[in-house]
Amino acid sequence: MNTILFGILAILSLFIFMNLGKIKASKKQMDRDDRINWGGKRRPNVQQNRDGSKIIEGSAEEVNDETKK
Amino acid sequence: MSKHSALNTFGRSGNPAFTRNFENTQAFSQSDRMTLDGAVNKTAILLALCFAGAFAGWNVPVLAMPGLIIGTILAFVTIFRNPAKAGSTAPFYAAFEGMALGGITVFAEMQYPGIGIQAIGLTFGILASLLFCYKSGIIKPTENFRLMLFSATMGIFLLYLVSFIMSFFGSGIGFIHSNGLFGIGFSLFVVGIAALNLVLDFDFIEEGAEKGLPKYMEWYGAFSLMVTLVWLYVEILRLLMKLRSR
Repeated sequence: MNTILFGILAILSLFIFMNLGKIKASKKQMDRDDRINWGGKRRPNVQQNRDGSKIIEGSAEEVNDETKK
Repeated sequence: MSKHSALNTFGRSGNPAFTRNFENTQAFSQSDRMTLDGAVNKTAILLALCFAGAFAGWNVPVLAMPGLIIGTILAFVTIFRNPAKAGSTAPFYAAFEGMALGGITVFAEMQYPGIGIQAIGLTFGILASLLFCYKSGIIKPTENFRLMLFSATMGIFLLYLVSFIMSFFGSGIGFIHSNGLFGIGFSLFVVGIAALNLVLDFDFIEEGAEKGLPKYMEWYGAFSLMVTLVWLYVEILRLLMKLRSR
């Protein structure tokens, strides 16, 4: 009985894999900003200025002693 | 920008196959591009070859050890030497790895009858359910997810390596192989990590098809899925053996 149940589970799962695997993933999965970039290369956010100094993109924030407290 | 400085320095993927082939995909014609259909069909071919190998290993268990050694060498060749040749190495990998699995399963079946079909059913059950979770967006693989899985997988690999080396000197890390609560808990953890690696394989295949990678990457995607499935099957078999031996 055990063998039949697990055998059916295996065949059914393979059938699901063969059919579902060929369907594109849902928009919920695909339209995300935090998807894995398998390409490997990332555009660095640090740009080189003409004089060799580095400019870091993003909003500037003033840090003083009072904010630390 | 990523919070992980290593990613910013070295890029997103450490796998040379991925970094090499995701650029300039426009150069390939439509028929030379990777598709979901192709990747799934190639996975089916590799599974069929694995079953054929397992049939041979089941009937001639002596083939298990050579199958394991040759299969492992072929896996390393495919990953590190030339992923573009995955179409010629992956089928042999599947067949040899199948021989090893057939032999291992015979050994397990002699001790615990019926354990093989349970492990096969559970492996494919996990494959189908995780595929559903991935396709429907229930599980969303992110960069942090990948880093976590990579760390856990490397940790497990190192632990097994240390245990393997220690076994030459007559000792070992006993608790990970024991059938006590800790041993079973460890096996459950490893099965979980192996299963979640399937999600990464699905994501790689999905993105590869979306970006139109070259056709041979279908073989590479199918191969990576096979590697994870083989690992998952072995770990489920180990877990079931621990449970049955109590």
